[in-house]
Amino acid sequence: MTERRAFFRSCALALTGLLTSRTERLLAVTGLDSGPEDPEVPNQEVARILKQLFGDRPIRRGHVQLDMPIVAEDGRVVPVIIESDLPMTDDRYVKGIHLIVDHNPDPHLAAFHLTPAIGSVSISTRIKMKRTTWVRAILETSNGEV
Amino acid sequence: MINDIGEARIRVPDQIRRGDLITVNAIVSHPMDTGFFRTAEGDPIPAYFIKDVVVTYGNQEVARFEWTSGISRDPVVSFTLKADKEAPLTMVWSDNKGASFKQSVNISFISA
Repeated sequence: MTERRAFFRSCALALTGLLTSRTERLLAVTGLDSGPEDPEVPNQEVARILKQLFGDRPIRRGHVQLDMPIVAEDGRVVPVIIESDLPMTDDRYVKGIHLIVDHNPDPHLAAFHLTPAIGSVSISTRIKMKRTTWVRAILETSNGEV
Repeated sequence: MINDIGEARIRVPDQIRRGDLITVNAIVSHPMDTGFFRTAEGDPIPAYFIKDVVVTYGNQEVARFEWTSGISRDPVVSFTLKADKEAPLTMVWSDNKGASFKQSVNISFISA
């Protein structure tokens, strides 16, 4: 928990985590010194998806927790929990959560469109993962921040 | 055990007070086939998955999810909801073959 807190900067909104077959729980990107690729440099397909979704808006870090199991026993059913402390009020709320899994056949795995009535950002589901890869949870707020 | 495609269940807490932030758990039975697999005979199994979920509370759409076949078989989802009115909570799951599955629960309050 403390590493996460130390990592978060103010007003940042995106988070990437590396899922390995023995998964570490929610890795802050700067805490990792090794991995298959640098998540800062998404592969071409992911870059295309990010551009399509967010244009040239900078994707900032922080405010998002992406939890996945310590051990992904079955790659067909991997629990994912996305939480955020960002507000869900009528004038400022998270309107979209995009789940992107690099190297999955369709990396833009899911989108969750929300309204203030949802009350908080705490979404969980189960996804399929083929291999060690980056999992990104990117939130978009009602005022266009990403 | 849910067996038939489209059988869905929505769970909300038993006791809800007006204004509570509740957690909603929902599951629908569906193969969520990716289209990348073949049968033992080699015939392709076509992509067959839930692609849209619409959540309605009373007469208001409160959430909408877009899924791909990357979501696991018999997809579960959980999310929160501000229980500010006594009204039905309805979910409609639609798949890529045009079928829709609907389930509803009533949100009602215990007197605090």
